[in-house]
Amino acid sequence: EKADPQKTAFLLRKAWTLYSVTPLYGFRRARLRDYARLLGAFIAAEKQKGLAVEVGVELDIKVALSSLADIRGSELDQAALLVQLSSRSRGSSRNSEDKPVWWGWFCSVFGDELSENVPEHFTCLPLFLSHGAESYTALVGSWFQKTFDCCFRRLAISPLNLSWMAAMWAGCKLDRAASAVELVFSVPRLAQPLDISYAIHPEDAKALWDTVQKTPGEITQEEVDVFMDCLYAHFHRHFKIHLSAAKLVKVSTAIASAHCDGIVKILHSQYLPGVLMLLTELAISQIQ
Amino acid sequence: MDETVAEYIRRTVLKIPRDEIKMMLQKWGFLSEAQLQTLNFHQIKDNISQEVVQLCEENSADIKQAAVLDIIYNHIYQNKRMWSVYQMKKSGEELEYFDITDFKKKFKRRLRSALKNVTITFKEYEDNAIWIRVAWGTPHKKPNQYKPSYVVYHSQTPYVFISSSVLKSTLPLLCQALIVASNYHDIRDMELRSHSLNSLKDIVFKRYSQNFQTCTPKPLQGGNVEPENADIRIVEENRSEKERIHRLNQEVFGSGPQPKLEFAQYRLETMFKSDPKMDVLDKKEPFRCLVKFSSPHLLESLKFLAPAGMADAPLSPLLTCIPHKARNYFKIREKKGLYPESFVSP
Repeated sequence: EKADPQKTAFLLRKAWTLYSVTPLYGFRRARLRDYARLLGAFIAAEKQKGLAVEVGVELDIKVALSSLADIRGSELDQAALLVQLSSRSRGSSRNSEDKPVWWGWFCSVFGDELSENVPEHFTCLPLFLSHGAESYTALVGSWFQKTFDCCFRRLAISPLNLSWMAAMWAGCKLDRAASAVELVFSVPRLAQPLDISYAIHPEDAKALWDTVQKTPGEITQEEVDVFMDCLYAHFHRHFKIHLSAAKLVKVSTAIASAHCDGIVKILHSQYLPGVLMLLTELAISQIQ
Repeated sequence: MDETVAEYIRRTVLKIPRDEIKMMLQKWGFLSEAQLQTLNFHQIKDNISQEVVQLCEENSADIKQAAVLDIIYNHIYQNKRMWSVYQMKKSGEELEYFDITDFKKKFKRRLRSALKNVTITFKEYEDNAIWIRVAWGTPHKKPNQYKPSYVVYHSQTPYVFISSSVLKSTLPLLCQALIVASNYHDIRDMELRSHSLNSLKDIVFKRYSQNFQTCTPKPLQGGNVEPENADIRIVEENRSEKERIHRLNQEVFGSGPQPKLEFAQYRLETMFKSDPKMDVLDKKEPFRCLVKFSSPHLLESLKFLAPAGMADAPLSPLLTCIPHKARNYFKIREKKGLYPESFVSP
């Protein structure tokens, strides 16, 4: 279950934009090289049409598709699929290095709920994460949609799910140099917008969660509610403000951070599978 | 004219919005009216600034004059900078007559004795405000004109407003020079910061309204306190509660506009208290938190929290004390004794 830290290092500390993807029809692992060539040709053609990215920059985009065998929950999951776009400026020598400009990867971590019920010839990789220019994301997305008859949708994260993440991640074992557990709220509908950042010392947040969680390895909605209520009550005691009435928009911890617009950053390779499992679940809920 | 001075003047003019360049050059007064007439203000800024530099060349501008133009720009666009407020303290009760020449002399002497390469410029404004600009160098390098510190000192008060250079080591030198020059013996950071220099002045000079009932209350977002509909079939629920909240808000905030602050930060080192039935955390050590409120206009947004149902009325004194305690950075510890629910802010 543990992913090779070297191969997955590039996944850490990047802000990934999240999408849910419906199952891909007719996708074959053996044809990755072909797909890379076709996608590359598609991108070049779109550029000719003047529909793509960088204005005035002479760039050739090289496409690489690969499998990340370690990124999956169980044998029932498909291995993750990585798409990488690199640029090489025209006119430079063959020896010059390609510079990566965009990453996108499809994955499924314990996504059995979806793959169980899917007919033959469909590949389930419900979670898609992208990093890089939005215009490249649009190009890659539209090629996949056309080629495999699938559908991409931005994945928003609700305040409810953000509080789950806060509770889960606050309870993780800590390094000495762990950063605070920060909750960011936005207060809607005021004449002047107000943002509230509530950052708790990681040791103290973990100490609180440890007294709330009854069964190690298991988290219930009730426990998450108690954890959040404690934090809200502590805040109210000081400021007389009902944080529960504000909108939780971002959660940031030493493990990972997540924003309600569906943007996630994972900081610790040890917790990568756990975070992906949660995000896979969110993606599947959006698809169904 | 020195090349670096020419470049500095060119870049300063480039910062100014095109339709304000003429006005600022007039305020500067270094170029004659005749020279200003020769400038074409309808071309692109790049060309305007080149022409200005040429005229400055004719007049042999040096860094001192260029620095004055920079002060004028920063005085008008003061809200682009972050200002911190400092308060100076006198040892005795002696009322000393403020002599501006003496102040400037002592300030320059103190700084120059610590650092050979500094550019120091003063400009006085109407409201007794002395603007000071300091560009910092090292024993071997000429002053960096692009990272200066700005100080605004109101000579009839112990308050100094500092927009610090990013070169952090310069702040202690600056503070030293200020107290020596103004005959004070100490200076402290009031932990009060904002982009709005005028609001900071409003707070420390107590120029904002408190409990002043002259203005009519503004209509609240999402509903009026005084319903204007004549339809008697619509009865407002909790009317008396709404009125109570409104009244409490008036008492705390007054009816006038609030000083403009963008944030308030609280370092909490208080105990975590919970209902014993909940069986949660019961530590003897503080529950450490850092809370930060941000808004384009913080005090105005806080005012509307209770009417919006997001907060109890009256609002917590931790928030409402900001203007009269004249600070927006706090460290809160538990107060021991009879009232364990109340807090102490040192």
